Amino acid sequence: MKKKIIKIIFAVLIILFLIIQIYPVIWLFVASVKPTVELSAAPFAFPKSITLENFSKVLSDGKIGMYMWNSLKVTVISLILIVVLSSTAGYALSKFKVRGTKTIYSFFTFGIMVPVQITLIPLFIFYSKLGILNTSFSLILPQVGFALPLSVMMFVSFYEFVPNELIEAAVVDGCSPLRTFIQIVFPLARNTVITIASMYSILIWNDFIFANTFISDTSAKTVAMGLKDYVGAFGNVDWGSTFAAIAISILPPLVIYFALNKWVTAGMTMGATKG
Amino acid sequence: MGVIRNKKAFLAFLLPGLLFYILAVFYPIEESIRLSFMKWGGIGKKQFVGLENYVTMFHDEVFYKAFFNNLIYLVIVVSMQLLIGLFFAILLTYMTKHVTLVKTLYYVPCIITTVAITQLFRSMYSTEPMGLLNQILQKVGLGGMVTSWLAKVSTVLPAVSIPEGWRFTGMYMVIFYAALVSLDPSVYEAAKIDGASEMQILFKIKMPLIKDIILLTLTMCLTGALRGFDIPFLLTSGGPGNASELMSTYMYKKAFSSNQYGYGSTLAVFIIIESILVVYILRKIFTSKEQKEEKRIEKERIRRNRRGNH
Repeated sequence: MKKKIIKIIFAVLIILFLIIQIYPVIWLFVASVKPTVELSAAPFAFPKSITLENFSKVLSDGKIGMYMWNSLKVTVISLILIVVLSSTAGYALSKFKVRGTKTIYSFFTFGIMVPVQITLIPLFIFYSKLGILNTSFSLILPQVGFALPLSVMMFVSFYEFVPNELIEAAVVDGCSPLRTFIQIVFPLARNTVITIASMYSILIWNDFIFANTFISDTSAKTVAMGLKDYVGAFGNVDWGSTFAAIAISILPPLVIYFALNKWVTAGMTMGATKG
Repeated sequence: MGVIRNKKAFLAFLLPGLLFYILAVFYPIEESIRLSFMKWGGIGKKQFVGLENYVTMFHDEVFYKAFFNNLIYLVIVVSMQLLIGLFFAILLTYMTKHVTLVKTLYYVPCIITTVAITQLFRSMYSTEPMGLLNQILQKVGLGGMVTSWLAKVSTVLPAVSIPEGWRFTGMYMVIFYAALVSLDPSVYEAAKIDGASEMQILFKIKMPLIKDIILLTLTMCLTGALRGFDIPFLLTSGGPGNASELMSTYMYKKAFSSNQYGYGSTLAVFIIIESILVVYILRKIFTSKEQKEEKRIEKERIRRNRRGNH
């Protein structure tokens, strides 16, 4: 009996905490379909009438579409680079009998400790010298660079499970290292690829600090930065449009999260337990 | 250790990634250190000034303000994320139904961009129109506490720390939960049979067993808090005055608002040293504790064996 009561108390606590965690997010979506008048009068009550006016207002000037396209470009190119570079580097570090692999591996893992802020000033100067501020590349370089330590680590720890005999057999049969990689090793790493891709797609889509530093042209802005812009443009008064813009821009990461939930959490948890 | 001996292929596979990594992560570190000894306003020639920037830093009142603010920020963020995270992870281990659903939902805040979170909290803290926080205070009869949380010097620092803590609590909970359920039940089942209470099992058996995870999450959480930037920068950008200034927001402002690239780099170098130091100290503390713990467990076992023989 006592046990049952304790269990109920636990459940109630968990649900209360769940409300704290989830209510703000739900409210975001609710606020985005509320008429502006209602939003300023009773912002946290349930909407009496639902309107899509906020969305049509935000979508009509086409800016958010452009921001999303920029984010998509940066995210997709970065993801491809991350997967290609870390899967190959991981392969080199775990399947080759060459001296120095351990040192290079710890050199890679050291990167996990490095705060991203350290790159802002040097890269800003470097980019302005080359005249490539406000390009997708200016965001892709640090995104990929800072994703590599953890991704290389994940690939290396996966490759440990690929038996050396398998690779030896391929080599004996005259298979080149490249073909061994493309036809045998890489296809086996499907789960690792999905984990890395799903996790970093969310992190890169959401990035603010790099975009805020390297991008100032409206035409090159990513979604996270564009959002900030929206708030300013409506002078902090038109909350309805702001929330509509937010709702649109956080939808893609949420969809990825709920679709690939298992992999996203696996990636982030692994990032923690390996760090 | 691998099996392929082809050195050329090794380099072909390794170099693209390695070079990218060096260009994006190590070149900037080297440049930051170099710039931290220079005076440069963005145009004209860089001027070597030796340790002047470092001397300036240690005489800069705002630097100390930012440093201590960052410590408070760190305490709030870390205690929210780890204590609340751990608490709910433990509660969740006693649940049998809907665990996956709860875990999935707890995690949602860290999927959302910081810009959106900032907007969310800005509207909650606001007084005009009355934000959620102030509305709740009024409803429960604490109307006197209603204030504009982000504009007051005394409340602004906790107000910018809480969103960051809130954001990642769910993630740490998921990590702790995964660690707790991966423990071998036979270990604590045996203790249960021996008459250990749930509390004893929790603190004497489960906690020591997930010590590695606690160390790792602590490392993550502390280094994360030391480099905290997005939410304070977006919410108040350090204001009012310097009341919510953190190390990295100060660095950012010095470099990109006042164009003091040299001094900004000095602050950046300070942040990286700070982060590495924390990781190092934590490892030190935990390994010595580990050894002590091992000895203690060993003693306990011997004592228990003796008692068992009687």
